[in-house]
Amino acid sequence: MAKIKFTLNNEVVEIDKDLNMRLLDVLRNDFNLTGPKEGCGEGECGACAVLLNHEIVNSCCTPLANVMDKEIITIEGFSITERYRIIKEAFAKTGGVQCGFCTPGMIIATESLLNKNPHPNDFEIKIGLSGNLCRCTGYNLIIEAVKEAAKAGEGLW
Amino acid sequence: MRDISTSINKVDNDEKTSGKAIYVADIKLDNMLYAFTVRSKIAKGKIIKIDYPELPLGYYIVDYKDIPGKNIVKVIFDDMPIFTEGDITYLYEPIALLIGPDKAVLSKLFAEVKIEYKEEEPVFAWKDSVIHYHFDKGLGKSALEEGKIIEYVYQTGYQEQAYIEPQGFIGYLETDKTTLIGSIQCPYYVKNAVIQALGAKDDEVRVIQAAVGGAFGGKEEFPSLMACQLAVALKKIKQPIQLVYEREEDMLVTTKRHPSRINFKASIKDNKINGLSVHVGIDGGATIGLSGVVLSRALIACTGAYAIDNLDVSGDVYKTNTVPNGAFRGFGAPQMFFAIEMFVEHIAMELGLDPLEFSKSILAKQGDYTSTMGVFRDPVLMPEMIEKALEVSDYNNKKTMFKKQQNLKGVGMSLFFHGCGFTGSGEKNIIKAKVRLKKQFDKVEILIAAVDMGQGVKTTFRKLVAHILEIDIDKVIFNNPDTDFVPDSGPTVASRTMMIVGGLVARATKEVKDRWNEGSFVVEKQYEQPDYIKYDESNFKGDAYPAYSWGVNVVEVEVDRFTYQVKVNKTWAFYDIGKAIDERIVIGQADGGLAQGLAYGYLEVMNHDKGKIMQKNMTDYIIPTAMDMCSMETYLYENPYAYGPYGAKGVGELSLIGGAPAVAKAIENAIGKKVFKIPVTPEYIMELMKNGKD
Amino acid sequence: MVKAFVAKSLDDCLNILNQENVKIVAGGTDMLIQNRTHSGIAIGFKTDVLYVSLVDELKHITEDKSNIYIGATCSLEQILENNLVPKILRDSILEMASPAIRHTATLAGNIGNASPAGDSLVCLYLLDAKLEIKSINSTRYQLLKDFILGVRKIDLAKNEMITKIIIPKINFDLVYFRKVGPRLSDAISKLSFAGALRMENNLVKDIRFAFGAVNIFVVRRREIEEKLIGIDKKTIKDMSDEIIGYYSEFIKPIDDQRSNKLYRKEVCSNLIKEFLEKI
Ligand SMILES: Cc1cc2nc3c(=O)[nH]c(=O)nc-3n(C[C@H](O)[C@H](O)[C@H](O)COP(=O)(O)OP(=O)(O)OC[C@H]3O[C@@H](n4cnc5c(N)ncnc54)[C@H](O)[C@@H]3O)c2cc1C
Ligand code: FES
Ligand code: FES
Repeated sequence: MAKIKFTLNNEVVEIDKDLNMRLLDVLRNDFNLTGPKEGCGEGECGACAVLLNHEIVNSCCTPLANVMDKEIITIEGFSITERYRIIKEAFAKTGGVQCGFCTPGMIIATESLLNKNPHPNDFEIKIGLSGNLCRCTGYNLIIEAVKEAAKAGEGLW
Repeated sequence: MRDISTSINKVDNDEKTSGKAIYVADIKLDNMLYAFTVRSKIAKGKIIKIDYPELPLGYYIVDYKDIPGKNIVKVIFDDMPIFTEGDITYLYEPIALLIGPDKAVLSKLFAEVKIEYKEEEPVFAWKDSVIHYHFDKGLGKSALEEGKIIEYVYQTGYQEQAYIEPQGFIGYLETDKTTLIGSIQCPYYVKNAVIQALGAKDDEVRVIQAAVGGAFGGKEEFPSLMACQLAVALKKIKQPIQLVYEREEDMLVTTKRHPSRINFKASIKDNKINGLSVHVGIDGGATIGLSGVVLSRALIACTGAYAIDNLDVSGDVYKTNTVPNGAFRGFGAPQMFFAIEMFVEHIAMELGLDPLEFSKSILAKQGDYTSTMGVFRDPVLMPEMIEKALEVSDYNNKKTMFKKQQNLKGVGMSLFFHGCGFTGSGEKNIIKAKVRLKKQFDKVEILIAAVDMGQGVKTTFRKLVAHILEIDIDKVIFNNPDTDFVPDSGPTVASRTMMIVGGLVARATKEVKDRWNEGSFVVEKQYEQPDYIKYDESNFKGDAYPAYSWGVNVVEVEVDRFTYQVKVNKTWAFYDIGKAIDERIVIGQADGGLAQGLAYGYLEVMNHDKGKIMQKNMTDYIIPTAMDMCSMETYLYENPYAYGPYGAKGVGELSLIGGAPAVAKAIENAIGKKVFKIPVTPEYIMELMKNGKD
Repeated sequence: MVKAFVAKSLDDCLNILNQENVKIVAGGTDMLIQNRTHSGIAIGFKTDVLYVSLVDELKHITEDKSNIYIGATCSLEQILENNLVPKILRDSILEMASPAIRHTATLAGNIGNASPAGDSLVCLYLLDAKLEIKSINSTRYQLLKDFILGVRKIDLAKNEMITKIIIPKINFDLVYFRKVGPRLSDAISKLSFAGALRMENNLVKDIRFAFGAVNIFVVRRREIEEKLIGIDKKTIKDMSDEIIGYYSEFIKPIDDQRSNKLYRKEVCSNLIKEFLEKI
């Protein structure tokens, strides 16, 4: 056990915890943030994605130790922003949400991508989403959603 | 008023995008315990002795001895024990649950369980037939005594549903009531199975659906097994328990699409198929479960989208010491449509005919007899759909052009249908669906057992009712099914939900509309089979389905000439689904189903080695990423079915069926060799390019 | 309970490495998956661990006249976005995993993991990469190819760590990397190939081939490459059969759940052809 401090959804938090825990478990069990999901537990599906210093990472293969003094934003924290509102509306408009299990991760991936590249082309969007598996949609409507968000949120990123 | 097909935003978007939707693993109850499943380490044999470690206070073992009712999971064919009583029939067969409050302790205890076995020789070959079916149409076998005979064998592999949310349940007792919240497709399957396992009364079991993170058939019958195990544990321990699989366990032990081997023999007269003999073998795995029903759907689809007068159809379910196979979107049809589509193409090639012209010349039309002497009663729009497909995909041009080119590009077209609803008299005799609407002041609540697993049931049903009543969708309530409140409207499977359950809901809604001024009341409706549907199950005679949805897929691929990797460049899809209750939702089903169908055809490899699934995680089992998928164009056709709401027929499964044959044919076109099995992997393509048949 | 040490500086790292018996964790994308037990409980590391990813001193990419230096805690994404890094290495990193993994995974981790399927290794072998390895009282430099001793075996003392990856600057006229995975992204290689060529006066001055995931080590054979020096452009383009023959005895792939020997071997040959076609 050790004390660790980091910023979680814009608030500084401190927790006494085994640093060998996966960030995913700490978020879900200690902070009750169940937006990040466990789909595979091995870095493959992106359902557990969160933003670490505003870049997408998979919280299932991020040890708690590695977030010391860093900034973590989960879907819960992101969902109060204007950027989220734009992305969410784009997903709704194109039909990018089916079972929803991949969706928080997809939204995080979209934010991470647009944050770095506000005008991605199709190929860049596909790269941006390549670590987020979706079994329901076949991706097209999600890709459309990212394009739509980039357009509707012009200037936000 | 707007046409019902006009899309609206899905009603559950916000909770899903914001991460607020509650899936099973998100639920935490006070004093909740966790359960790990103790499983066999051999594929066949007997347990001689189990040594459990000494359990600390608050830790439990639950096994077959704790089952108050029957040690059988009620499915369709009841042959799967809840926990083995000593006989092991497949690797990782469940033996017991190990339960306690601390996962770290459980994990340690788990590793200390010692089991001694007497091993027996497992059977992996397909030789023990446990179900055999046979039927004829017309002249049957004797039609194969004349004409030119063409024979080929086709094979399909496993496919894993790979829903992104693994299977799971949480359970607790409310006084005497065993309550289970699960990631499930069929609340009443679970409830009835648990009642039998506990020997409980109807009101002693309650099943509630949590948000479902994808299912695709994988959460049709398998959850009943987990639910029975958990219910037995709840009865013993009387504390809330969570049983949630992690990915690897899920992939190793849950049901998958049946691998198949399909032998075709055709006699050809005057460039027409005079007679067709087919044998379908499927690997059921260690238990039969619903393999028989999967087999019948495959057999009934044996003519593909074509009319063939003389048939000799047979099939077997083989029992092997492997993980049981079960429901998966399409349910036997994807195997058969791959095979028949390839066979018809290969026949045409052997006859020196243009495959598409040949296909068109034998297409089934309205009024033609089905394989079981039922009738295609509704108009068949396939010719129109094919014309459109040719036009927008530039198919003919590409097909000849690609053949000549150096780079390995190809196009393929598949023609297919899906029989909507349960096969045969299932709806009438087994399911007997019931729906209920509750009108209260200006609101109406839909009470049905249909599950929204992403396909949009919550949206389309609310929309349906609102549209008929001409009220705002906010005035229509639809909560996740809870068996304490909803009647048994049947399982969420077989592309039946909108057509059958929606049809009933529409009927009930009309009654609500007529009585609108009466204040608060309840309307119930029960399924009545259309009179003309008569089906003789044991002889495969009559109308196996009330209606059919039809499809055409065109797929363009490029095969890398150095690595034999396949890239799908573009797809065009054409579906007659009666009427779209929401176009965007249907497009979502169309894209997602086609992605699964394509991947079944060229990407998704799964096999077992001595009963052990080799691709046991998402790293090794390859499903498409955004990079692998391509732009998909979809065209919907209206062709209303009289008994479906607004004419709607089945949607969910249709879009998966055509992907594999279309991509396989496109690869054939690209490499100039015949394809006989899926998935068409780069390894197989390499083999074909060296030694394949032209 | 397994202890976790978190280093904030290189000195921390070297001190802890010197005093404790620890295994290094950088991004953890290999270490967490390999030691995974169950969700909800701590990673099942076999020994105490030292987390190094917070060490900022090692997060730099620099150059001098002859080399590029990549700090051991640089993330793959950071390397990918840096133009100092040779294109072929960036090409290979772009095909590794996904953005989420690349934001935390490191190149040092890919090396330290020493998997025959490690995608960066093929290019690093091709480029004659070297490592800077430090302990509390020493700094040594070692060629990557000598550092990797086998599958998951590396030449690293208990108190040492990789601090930099050093890549000699060389100008090639043609570089070519190809990862062959079971799908088009985010997947473990069935095999991979890297080739590089420098011509002078229309004659081969430097030609290199490296193959991944087809033997315990990345296959790179200098003696074969040397045979090809001085050959003119037209001749070398037609030498695919010969070159394939030279490599045949070194390309010894296996059958596994991802692919089979025959395919891996044949595609290696094809990629030699493809590379030569590009000349
Ligand atoms: C979903 C997923 C996809 C992946 N895809 C790919 C892929 O496409 N291609 C590929 O090659 N790999 C892939 N990997 C593997 C992994 O991401 C890479 O090997 C990565 O580079 C490891 O870096 P890391 O920092 O996370 O390593 P860690 O897990 O932190 O460490 C890996 C090993 O390196 C050692 N190590 C780390 N840093 C040092 C150091 N400074 N000095 C000495 N030893 C050190 C550790 O002790 C350990 O043995 C994938 C992994 C996942 C989870
Ligand atoms: S759960 Fe983390 S990537 Fe799948
Ligand atoms: S919406 Fe179900 S996995 Fe993406």
